[in-house]
Amino acid sequence: MDPALIGLLITVVTIGVFALGIPVAFGLGFVAVTFLLLFEGFGMSKVIADTFMEGLMEFTIVSIPMFIVMGMAVASSPAGKDLYSALDRWLNRVPGGLVVSNLGACALFAALSGSSPATCAAIGKMGIPEMRQRGYSKEISAGTIAAGGTLGILIPPSITMIVFGISTETSIGQLFMAGILPGIMLTGLFMAWAIFKTWRTNMDANSASVVFNKFSWKERFEILPRVLPFLTVVVGVLYVLYGGIATPSEASGIGAFLCIILVAVIYKIYDPKKLWRILKGSMKESVMIMMIIACSYLFSFTLSNLYVTQTIAEVMTSLDVNKWVLLFMINIFLLVAGFFLPPVAIILMTAPILLPIIEGVGFDPIWFAVILTINMEIGLITPPVGLNLYVIKGISPDITLPEILRGSLPFMLCMVLAIIILCIFPEIATWLPNYLLGS
Amino acid sequence: MGFLYETLKILQLMNTFIKFVHSLSRLCGTVATVLLISAILVIINMVVSRYVFNLTTSWQTEYVIYSLAGATFIGCPYVLLEKGHVNVELLPHYLDYKGKLILAIICSVLSLMFSTLIFVLACDMWFDAYVHNHTTGTLWNAPLWKLYISLPIGFFIMILQYLADIISLVTKREMPFPPAKLEEAIK
Repeated sequence: MDPALIGLLITVVTIGVFALGIPVAFGLGFVAVTFLLLFEGFGMSKVIADTFMEGLMEFTIVSIPMFIVMGMAVASSPAGKDLYSALDRWLNRVPGGLVVSNLGACALFAALSGSSPATCAAIGKMGIPEMRQRGYSKEISAGTIAAGGTLGILIPPSITMIVFGISTETSIGQLFMAGILPGIMLTGLFMAWAIFKTWRTNMDANSASVVFNKFSWKERFEILPRVLPFLTVVVGVLYVLYGGIATPSEASGIGAFLCIILVAVIYKIYDPKKLWRILKGSMKESVMIMMIIACSYLFSFTLSNLYVTQTIAEVMTSLDVNKWVLLFMINIFLLVAGFFLPPVAIILMTAPILLPIIEGVGFDPIWFAVILTINMEIGLITPPVGLNLYVIKGISPDITLPEILRGSLPFMLCMVLAIIILCIFPEIATWLPNYLLGS
Repeated sequence: MGFLYETLKILQLMNTFIKFVHSLSRLCGTVATVLLISAILVIINMVVSRYVFNLTTSWQTEYVIYSLAGATFIGCPYVLLEKGHVNVELLPHYLDYKGKLILAIICSVLSLMFSTLIFVLACDMWFDAYVHNHTTGTLWNAPLWKLYISLPIGFFIMILQYLADIISLVTKREMPFPPAKLEEAIK
């Protein structure tokens, strides 16, 4: 059978199997082994278990559970609350201060916890009532938090980036670094929109209800000792990683250990039961992700064994379309996939296929990782699986889903704008890794 | 009377089986967590010996990789029990109870088929490594059968967990596609 036809068949069957509601990992595994045995015969069965195991046999993968432990430690402690009040105390005089500090808190917390829904829950629980109390609209309050939560997969340390690095054999240090400036830019775009929108609504409604809370310098400083240690650990981990002093796995392992210690010391969570719960929660999360990694390794193996990967790359590069048209099509494809699937699964399934195409037409893979990640962020706040939306609905039941969506839509446009800006100025993503690590 | 007695006996057997599998899966969760903790500690050991004492590390890297792979395979049935595997619940969302039930059963059966295949092949791989006494071939030179054992064990319990899930679905002990994830995220 023609590899292109097999590819089409696999795509259709995979979509069909996912639509049933099967766990993504097993769906991938099922499709992979079915096609492998169907087209290559049972002689291939010998390598299946080997391949399945091999998917996890890489030292870099170790950093995934470690970063999850780091994030879980932060997410299950009152760190989110402290981060929120710290930023509020420091930024309350900035125009549009509350939205700015909410977005800042989201960006920081998302980077620390690595979890988008956890960020929405932790920051949103305090942020949304506070914003609404001070006269911000329902839409802008909900949209700010929903969009802010997505920043975690772009700003390092990011599991999504690690997964991209593993599946394409790209340097994790470079990927992390490439996410920093675009992450700051995106946060800036979000803030700009939020400030503009608030300013306009307040003009319309003529409600001067945005009250400033006054904070003394003492209050501003006394919160720092509870927030800075976590930030120091994360910055330290990244520094060690970028400096090439230690591998990502070593750096993240130390980070995980330190974060657990910090949670115990700062928040007095000595109770072994509570620490155990954090570790068990981390185990659950990483088993879920690692299982997807193992199964999609099998999936990629099948695709390349049946020459599907190679054929798609050949066809795409020989299409002779403008490379920007190609990128546009890839973006649309990723966007649609992002509506339905979690980022990790999309990256693992598509990155090995897309990367040769991207490199073939002369794009920088590191830059592409950033574009892809922003695409994935959009998927986090769009129905039907945009978990952020449902988390916000859960913590503030009186805001309807359409209101949350209306609030999030402009932020999605900000992300699209960010992708366009990055296409015009790819240096925003590539400058920092090139400058610090050399290309 | 005899028929009623038989039915009751089967029901009782089902209950025992489900309870047994659930506690087995919970045990798996504990083992996987312990493996994760051990990996963190070994990384600390590795970093300290490498960067503080300038020693060469031999077994640590491999240990960490295999313990986390082990945690993944052994933790898998626990995550299944806790409904922690991410899926796309778009179609089920629009269906009534009966439709959901049918989809849930199809999903479980497909996953069960995959798990069984992996289990059989993993046994084969494990047995091969055991009989031929394959080792990692590195400095550590650990026997591979010890490292491979997590795969067949994990997937065997996965099979049991899926069987228990299917029984629970058919006998209405459990709702298909329960909306549990969200509450957890908000907590």
